[in-house]
Amino acid sequence: MKGVSAGNAVPRVDARDKVTGAARFAIDFSTAGMLHGKVVRSTRAHATIRAISKDAALAVPGVAAVVTGSDLEGLFPRFGHVVADHPILALGRVRYFGEPVALVIGTSPHAAADGGEKVEISYDDLPTVMTPHEAMADGAPLLHDEEYAQGDRSFAEARSERKLSNLAHEAILGWGDVDSAFQEAAVVVESQVHFPMLYAYAMEPYNAVAAFDDGTLEIVSTAQHPFQVRDDLARVFGLPLNRVRVRSPLLGGGYGSKSYTKVEPLAAVGAWATGQPVRVALDVEESILTTRADSATIDVRTGLDKEGRILARDFDILFNTGAYVDNGSLVLAKAVHRCMGPYRIPNLRVRGRAFYTNTVPSSSYRGFGAPQGTFAGETNLDRAADKLGLDPAEVRRRNLVRPGERHLPGKRGMDADLIADLDIVVEKLGWGQESPPGRGIGFACSASDAGAFPVSTATVRLLADGSVMVLTGSTEMGQGSRTALAQIAATELGIDLDRVRVVQSDTFGTPYERTTGASRTTTLTGLAVQRACREALRQLEEIGAELMECRIEEVKTAEGVVAGPDREIGFDVAVQDWFGGRQGEVVGHGVVRRAGELEELPPFWEIGMVGVDVSVDRDSGRVTVEHLVTVGDVGYAINPALVEGQDLGAATQGLGMALYEQLIYDGPQLVNPNIVEYRVPRMVDMPSQIDCVIVERSDGVGPYGAKGGGEGSLNPVAAAVTSAVARAIGIWPDRLPLTPEAVWELMNKREESDGDEVTDA
Amino acid sequence: MTDVTLTTQINGRPQTATIAPRLSLAEFLRDGLGLTGTKLSCEMQVCGACTVLVDGLPVSSCNYLAADVDGREVLTIEGLATGPELHPIQKAFIDKFAMQCGYCTPGFVMMTKALLDEVADPSTDEIADHFEANICRCTGYQPIVAAVREAASLIREDR
Amino acid sequence: MSVLPPFELVRPPDLGGALEALSADHLPYAGGTELLLAMRQGLLRPAALVDLKGVRELSGISVIDGSIVIGGAVTHRTASHAGEVRASLPALAEVLQRVGSPRVRSVGTLGGNLCFAEPKSDVATILIALGAEVELASTDGARVMPVADLLAGPYTTVREENELLTSISVPVVDDRKVVYEKFQTMERPTVAVAGVAEPDGSRRVVVGAVGGRPETFAIGPDGHDPEEIEESLEIFPDLTGTESYKRHIVSLLLARVVRRLGWTT
Repeated sequence: MKGVSAGNAVPRVDARDKVTGAARFAIDFSTAGMLHGKVVRSTRAHATIRAISKDAALAVPGVAAVVTGSDLEGLFPRFGHVVADHPILALGRVRYFGEPVALVIGTSPHAAADGGEKVEISYDDLPTVMTPHEAMADGAPLLHDEEYAQGDRSFAEARSERKLSNLAHEAILGWGDVDSAFQEAAVVVESQVHFPMLYAYAMEPYNAVAAFDDGTLEIVSTAQHPFQVRDDLARVFGLPLNRVRVRSPLLGGGYGSKSYTKVEPLAAVGAWATGQPVRVALDVEESILTTRADSATIDVRTGLDKEGRILARDFDILFNTGAYVDNGSLVLAKAVHRCMGPYRIPNLRVRGRAFYTNTVPSSSYRGFGAPQGTFAGETNLDRAADKLGLDPAEVRRRNLVRPGERHLPGKRGMDADLIADLDIVVEKLGWGQESPPGRGIGFACSASDAGAFPVSTATVRLLADGSVMVLTGSTEMGQGSRTALAQIAATELGIDLDRVRVVQSDTFGTPYERTTGASRTTTLTGLAVQRACREALRQLEEIGAELMECRIEEVKTAEGVVAGPDREIGFDVAVQDWFGGRQGEVVGHGVVRRAGELEELPPFWEIGMVGVDVSVDRDSGRVTVEHLVTVGDVGYAINPALVEGQDLGAATQGLGMALYEQLIYDGPQLVNPNIVEYRVPRMVDMPSQIDCVIVERSDGVGPYGAKGGGEGSLNPVAAAVTSAVARAIGIWPDRLPLTPEAVWELMNKREESDGDEVTDA
Repeated sequence: MTDVTLTTQINGRPQTATIAPRLSLAEFLRDGLGLTGTKLSCEMQVCGACTVLVDGLPVSSCNYLAADVDGREVLTIEGLATGPELHPIQKAFIDKFAMQCGYCTPGFVMMTKALLDEVADPSTDEIADHFEANICRCTGYQPIVAAVREAASLIREDR
Repeated sequence: MSVLPPFELVRPPDLGGALEALSADHLPYAGGTELLLAMRQGLLRPAALVDLKGVRELSGISVIDGSIVIGGAVTHRTASHAGEVRASLPALAEVLQRVGSPRVRSVGTLGGNLCFAEPKSDVATILIALGAEVELASTDGARVMPVADLLAGPYTTVREENELLTSISVPVVDDRKVVYEKFQTMERPTVAVAGVAEPDGSRRVVVGAVGGRPETFAIGPDGHDPEEIEESLEIFPDLTGTESYKRHIVSLLLARVVRRLGWTT
C-alpha cells in the first residue's frame, strides 16, 4: 500500500550516493578561484603576543595574504553563541596551545602550508592554569579579564552573571534538606570519579569554504547547526541575516562536535581579506585542537534507607571547560540536570562549576554532560546497593520514577516505562546467576532532558508532477534524518517514498531549525514536517472543493489522491488544474515552538538503559566486552534499522570512553592528538553478542508517538562497564578509561589492601 | 621543484598528468581529477578512509605519492560499479545499513573489494584482521561485518 | 588536511644509479610508510627522495646457501606471501602478515622498516631472533652485519648516508622452533617477545618494543632466567604503558614463550 513508510526499515535514501562516492560532503565543494587557508597556531598555552612578522610568509610563491587578529579592524572579532568570548584569530593574547593566531592564504594548500611555516610569532609567556583546581586557586592567573556579549534568552540555563574569575559557569539544582536526610539514612555512600578529556572523532575534520558575493557571505561547512553559525557570522560582519548563507551538506560525522561555530569565521575572514573564496580545511590534529569534550571530577553522596530507597543525593561537579566557553556551559547545565538519574529523590543538591583553563575549548559531545554525570551517579548507586547487600537492579526498581511521574520539579513527567526497560536489560544479560571468575555484569540507566529548546520549522512543497520536496534546516550527519523525515512525509501524504525528496540545511533555501542535536530531529523536525504535510493536505482539500464544486468537508485526501463525492484526482492533477497547466505548487508550512504539548520541557526524556557482560584477563588487565544490551525506548521507531544503528553506534562510542579514549596533557601541550595515540573502538573490539532491543510504547510527543534516540545508549555505558569490571575484579574503579594497565593496577591494589569490597548481589 | 609526468589508468581510463612530486595520490584524485569519493581523514595511513586499489592492492592514498601510480592501474570507489548496476559489495552495504555518515564508507567498500578478491568466503577472524585499522565512528562495525559477508555471498552466487 | 613539503623525486634505473644518488639530503624511498609521515609532520625535510621501486636488484626473493635472501625493497605483503618464506620461515611470514594494516603491507618494505628503526618494529624483533643479516652497499663496496648491529637506538641505525640496505638474509635452520608473542592494545605493540629453540639446544629470546631497540638474551640452563631478563631490560615508558606495566607484560610474554616452546626454567 502506498505511503505505509513509517515504521519500516526502508533503505537509507542517501545510501546509494554513499556507496558510490557520489555523496558530497563539505570538503567536496570547491569554487572557481578558490584560495586555501592554513591556520598558524599558538605554540604557547598562555602568552601575550609580542610581534607577528608576515614578511617571509608573504614572500613565498603563491601566498596571497596573511591575516592576523589585528587585521580584523572594523569587524566584531569574536564568536560564541552563549558567551562571545572566542576570538576568530588571537587578539594580542593566546589562551591555549594550538589556538589560531594567523591565517595564511595561498593559491594551493601547498602554498598556504609553505607560507604558514614562515610566519614568525614571538610571545611573552603568562602563567597557566591547566585544571579546575588550579583555576579556582587563590591568586590564579585570570584567563579572561573582560566581559563579553551574552547569548539570547533561549540559552538562559547556560548563562550566568560572571564575576571576573576563572569560573566560566555555575549551575545549581536542588530541593529538600539534604544534610538532615543524610543523618537519617541507613547508609551514606560517598565516591569521587574522574572522567577523561575526550574527542568526538568525527571522521570528516572541520572545514569550510567561504565567499562574498554581491554583499552576501556564502559558506559551505561542516556545521551541524547552520542557523546558529549564520547568527554568529552576521554579528562578525555586521550583516543582516538575509545576507549570510550557510549550507551544511552531508556531514562526515558530528556527534555534537560540529555544533555551533568552529572554522567558519576563519574561512570568512579569509574571504573578506582577499576578496576571493577561501577554504579552510583542518586535519585531525587541528580538529582536536579546535574542540574536545569536558573532563570532569565529580563527588557524589547518596543516602538510602535500609530498603534501598534514596533519601538524598548530593553532587559536586567540576568541569575543565578549556580556554573558551563554546557550548561548555550548556553541557555543564545538562550534566547538572542529568547526573542524579530518573529516580525519586526527596532531597537533592547539585552544584556544577565549569572552569576556564589553558586547554582546548570543550563543547558538545554526544550525551552532553550525561555520560559524565551518569558515570558518577550510577556507579555510586551500585556501591550503595553493595553496602546495603541489595540487588542493584532491585534498588533501581524501588527508586525509578513511574510513567507520568516527575523526577525534576517543573519538568515534564516521565514519558517512559523505566522499570520495564531495566527488566529487559537484566533478563538479556542473565543477571542473577553467578558470573564465572573474571567475569562481571553491569548495567546502568539515565534520562536526559533531550530535544533542546523546541523550535523547528519545515516546508513541504507538493509539485505539479506530484513529487514532493521537504525543506528542513536539520542536518544529515549519519543519523538518517533524510530518510526518516522522508518516511514521515510519505506516510502523511500517502505517497511512495521515492516521490519524496528531503532538502536540508541551507539558510537561504530551507526554513529555520534551531539545532541538529539533543536527539531532537525525529521528534521536533518530524512534527514540523508532519504539520507542514497536513497544512499542504488542507490546501489540497480546498483546491479539491473548488475544482469539484463541493463542500470542503466532502473532500478527502489519501494515498496521493484528492477524492470528492463524485470523482477523484491525483495530487498532480489537482495542482495542475487549479493553477491551469503543468505548473504551480502547493506549499505547506509547519511550525514547532514552545507551546501546546511542547510547552512543558523537555519535549521528551531520552532514556538510556544499557548493560554489559565483561571478562577481564587476570594477567594483563585487558577488558573484553562479551555481551552488550541496549534498549531503544523511542516510543515509535519510524525506521527500526536506523534506531538500531543509532543505539549500537552510541553504545560503541560509550565503550570507547569506558575502555580506550583519553586526551592527555603533559604540561601545556596535548601529547596524543592523533589516531595512533588516541584509540577509538575498532572492529576487533566489538562484543561477540549484541542485543539492540527497540521498545515502542507510543509515549512520545513526536509523530506516531515517537521520541528521540541516538544519545541514550551512550550515556550509561561507561557506568555499566565500570560496574561490570568492578564485579569482575573486586574493586571499584574511580576513573576512565579502563585500559589494561589501569585495570591491572586496580587488581594489584586489591591484592595489596582491602579496597572497597565488591559483592555480587 | 621539478614536476614529474605520469601515465596511469584510473578506473580503466588512461590518464596522463604532470604533477609536483609532493602531490599525494588522494590530492591528485580529489583535486586533480574531481574524484572526491576518496576521503581524507587521519592522514596517517591508519583509518582507511582514503583506501584505493593500486594494481589490485589496497593503499592509503593519503600517504602515497601520486607519482607512484605511473605505469599502474588505480581503482577508486567511483570505478567499482561498471554501468548503472551497483557492485555486489555496494548492494550489500546498502542492504545491511553498513553506513551512517558515509565518510568512511568508500574506504570500507574498497577494502572489502581487496579482501574478497583474495578470499572468497572470509571467516569472522579474517574479516576482523583485514579491517583491523579501518575506523568507522558511527555504526559499531557489526553492520559492516554483515555487509562483507553478504557481499561475499552475492559474489559467490554470481560466479 | 596536511601536505608534504616540497622535494625532488629521483628515479634511478638500477642499483648503481641509486647508490650514486644517495646523500645526507637525498633519502632512500620505497614504500614511504614511515618516511612520508615523518616529512608531513615536519620531522624530515629531504631535498630529494631516491625512489628504489624501479631498482630490480632490490626486489627479489631468492634462496642462497641455505638462507632466504629478501631484497631491501620487497614489501611486507610480497615477503609474507612468498612460498619460500611461508615454507621455511613461517614465524617471519606470520609476523609480516600482521604488520600495520593491509594497506601498509601493500607498500611498506622490510628494508625501509629496518632502516627507520622504529623501536616497536615487530619486523626487527623477529629478524633479530632469526639471526638475520643485512647487506649495506655504497659506491665504495658492501658490508654485511647482523640486524641487531644495524640498529643503534630509537630511529637510528649505523647506516651511512650514502649506504643502502640492499638485502636481508635469513638463515633457514632445520628443526629450529620459533614463537612470537606480542601484547598490543594501541596502534603499536606494548611488548613483543620472540623465542627461538635451536636444534643444538641453545635457547634465546628477543624482547622488542619496550626500549630503544630489541634486546637478545640467552635463556634457560646456559643463560638467564626470565626474571633476570625482565629486570635487566631498559624500558621506556610511553602511552602504551608505564615501565612497571611493561615489565609485568614482559614477564607474562616470557612465560608464554617458555610454555609454548616446552621449556622449563
